[in-house]
Amino acid sequence: MTRLHTLGFLALATLLLAVPLTSGNEYELRLFMLFLIYAIIAVGLNVLVGLAGLVSLGQAGLFALGSYTGAIVATRLGFDMIGSALVAAVVAGLFGVLLAYPTVRVRGVYLAVVTIAFGLIVENVAIEWQSLTGGTTGLTSIPAPNVFGAVLSGYAYYGVLAASLFLLVLAAHNLKFSRYGRAMLAIAQSETAARALGLNPTAMRTLAFVVAAVTSGIAGTYYAFLNAYISPDIFTFTDSVRFLLMVILGGAASTFGPVIGAYILTYLPEYLQEFAVWQKFAYGALLLAVMFVLPRGIMGSLGALAARLRPAAKAATPTAGLPAEITLAPDERRPHAELVARALTVRFGGLTALAEASLRVKPGEIHALIGPNGAGKSTFVNTISGFYRPTSGAFELDGVQLTGLSSHEIARAGLARTFQNTELFGEMTVLENVMVGYQQRLAYGLAAALLHTPAMRREENRCRETAAGLLAFVGLADYRHEQARFLPFGLQRRLEIARALAAGPRLLLLDEPAAGLTTQEIDELEAMIRRIAGLGISVLLIEHHVELIMAVADTVTVLDYGQVIASDTPAVVQADPRVVEAYFGSSASHANLAEASA
Amino acid sequence: MSTVAQYIFSGLAIGGIYALVALGFHIMWSAARAVNFAHGDTLMIGGLLAAYLVGAGWPLALACGLAVLVGGAFGFVIERLAVRPFAGQANSIGWMLTTIAIGIMVESVATIETQGYALPLPSPGVAGSVQVLGAGLYPQELAIPVIALVAMAGLRLLQRRTLIGRAMQAVAHNRNAAALMGIDVNLVIAFSFALASLTGAAAGVLIAPVVQASATMGVLPGLKGFAVAIMGGITSAPGVVLTGLAYGVIEKFVEGYVSTAAREIVGFSLMIVVLLVFPQGLFGKREVAKV
Repeated sequence: MTRLHTLGFLALATLLLAVPLTSGNEYELRLFMLFLIYAIIAVGLNVLVGLAGLVSLGQAGLFALGSYTGAIVATRLGFDMIGSALVAAVVAGLFGVLLAYPTVRVRGVYLAVVTIAFGLIVENVAIEWQSLTGGTTGLTSIPAPNVFGAVLSGYAYYGVLAASLFLLVLAAHNLKFSRYGRAMLAIAQSETAARALGLNPTAMRTLAFVVAAVTSGIAGTYYAFLNAYISPDIFTFTDSVRFLLMVILGGAASTFGPVIGAYILTYLPEYLQEFAVWQKFAYGALLLAVMFVLPRGIMGSLGALAARLRPAAKAATPTAGLPAEITLAPDERRPHAELVARALTVRFGGLTALAEASLRVKPGEIHALIGPNGAGKSTFVNTISGFYRPTSGAFELDGVQLTGLSSHEIARAGLARTFQNTELFGEMTVLENVMVGYQQRLAYGLAAALLHTPAMRREENRCRETAAGLLAFVGLADYRHEQARFLPFGLQRRLEIARALAAGPRLLLLDEPAAGLTTQEIDELEAMIRRIAGLGISVLLIEHHVELIMAVADTVTVLDYGQVIASDTPAVVQADPRVVEAYFGSSASHANLAEASA
Repeated sequence: MSTVAQYIFSGLAIGGIYALVALGFHIMWSAARAVNFAHGDTLMIGGLLAAYLVGAGWPLALACGLAVLVGGAFGFVIERLAVRPFAGQANSIGWMLTTIAIGIMVESVATIETQGYALPLPSPGVAGSVQVLGAGLYPQELAIPVIALVAMAGLRLLQRRTLIGRAMQAVAHNRNAAALMGIDVNLVIAFSFALASLTGAAAGVLIAPVVQASATMGVLPGLKGFAVAIMGGITSAPGVVLTGLAYGVIEKFVEGYVSTAAREIVGFSLMIVVLLVFPQGLFGKREVAKV
């Protein structure tokens, strides 16, 4: 935790302790307790919106679900507050899983509409199911907050809410600075790259939805006990918008932003009252102004300002990196990986992009895959990394069948790749990008992440040091705190290689790594590929640059019209008449290719 | 029998409104990959302004015409003010919230002006009811689905036969390529939003005589029109119009046999289910992303 965050938590604790001591009357304290409940919702929603990058405009539905569930089990079954809150959390959490399911297939606006629909469904079920929910009149006579039969005083209940919020902010902060938070951020920025590094987007999105749902559910129960009365009109679409606005106004993805946003929007109606009938108009105008003036929210703008004022401070935290030779040392038992693809065929509609292509990357070799444009190289790469499903054929790594696995499962089997059009996590730092690559080698679980246990910290340190070492390996040590999107193109390519290496792959797949590089950068790339192979990692290199291939490859496979037309050492392939024909047409002689490669 | 006919025809009428609103969402989405979340308020502007002007003594045709034009202008302004500044961003939170904000403001002004009351819009279409297969209906209600289909055909004609229509399709397929061909992409998008809002405001003018015009008349048709657009496949104009009509009919049956609240539960649940089975909507095309 940085010093600023520690200060922030101290300030929050002080505020939570000072308010009940200084509040003049019960109304003031009650309003503050309402703020605490909204803040709980906002902090949970921030995990979904800020980290996972998903918009929910139906949070009021989950809030209502928690509220009704808590109220019903309390009034009907006589549960105490803790029991009710637990039941509400479970029910809301289950609906969170249900809501996350559509994200497998739809996102963005589509997801927003699904969440809006969910909110409206809950609202109308509350109206319709009168025997359970009391219909439009709602549920009354919810008991006073009580724990194990003992009724809590107003101050004791305040203590419960304040402690809940404080612990939640801390847990959400810990989650953000753990493998889970990094994974969510990475998936939001490039799902493709995240999958290729072994991250499971569906699991992470579900986790984010569940966090947002469970917190809203608990907040709902707290609300029911605070108010002693709930009805459907408290949980409308407008409230969902307000919850989302709390996160955006405070600053999405920041630790304290949602709390600040919730504070402002809880107290705002008090100030807007002087606008009388224009109150709603003023609220809309404020929402509009926030989007234009503070699109990154209060904390986001403050953070950007701070970064501009002291840019030097960021660079002044050197971490000793672990040398790549140690962190990437091959497993003694199976030192080198072998990739075998047998008769892979991929068809898109009537077009056959790959026709019975077979290829074998021998253990520890540098294998180049070449071919004219449209030969099927990219299709091959995307197939063996799990982005396309082969129509027929099979492929395996060290005898482990990979056919039919999804891309993150293939990545976990030990195959890492880079991308032709670089796919970096643009808004994360260079170091964080590489740390995401290390993700699947981290073993700690969710509980350890929320608590930041010593074991978890040790693993994180190891991850950080490995990442730093890999940055040194590719020559990016000085850039580790830059945002990845600000790197020049050539360095972005190197960062992708470092990130792929961080996964500890047994086979590295480089998709046109030389494209767009200068001559000097290509020379450096050549040396880097040799050093990677020197670490015992098998390399499959897809490239156009003949000179580079002839210099580094042990074996060259040539694709043309989706078929393998040659596969042998560079010298033999260079002399193969079919290869020459594929590249230059039938009348060309060997001399032409030799010239081109010189 | 007459109840069934009643539900079908009334359903087609409200479905025609959803179809027109959804058609607007289709037009906006095709051009900008963004929509106006306050599109329901466009409908309200059309209906309420027409009722207000007629109440002030304007002739019906003139009042309706002006109301539709003002609705179109609203769409043009909202694109320029609230959508374009956020169009380039990776997530859609920006324009979602700005258009919602403008919707809140417009709705608030309308509430203040009408003091929360509903205004009637007398129209010859609701002067007397007619009997069709035992169902009592206003001629207006019979006309609405026909108008929705005509609007769909008109859009097709516009896209096939006119320069601006072809430019709209080019922008929908590939914005950058369209720009390189000399198409003013921003102008096409602004035009699309204006066109979408014209249909939205027209829907408001059409439904106002049946339900009366009020500040909140656009909320549900706006949300449902969006749900219909997503369900039908927002990239397909015939898809959203047909889905809109079907949605209206299903809704009327649930409302008739169960209740109003059940209507919303069934309708929106249906949307979620459809989206799970057909992520691109019933008639939509898949948008493929290359790795």
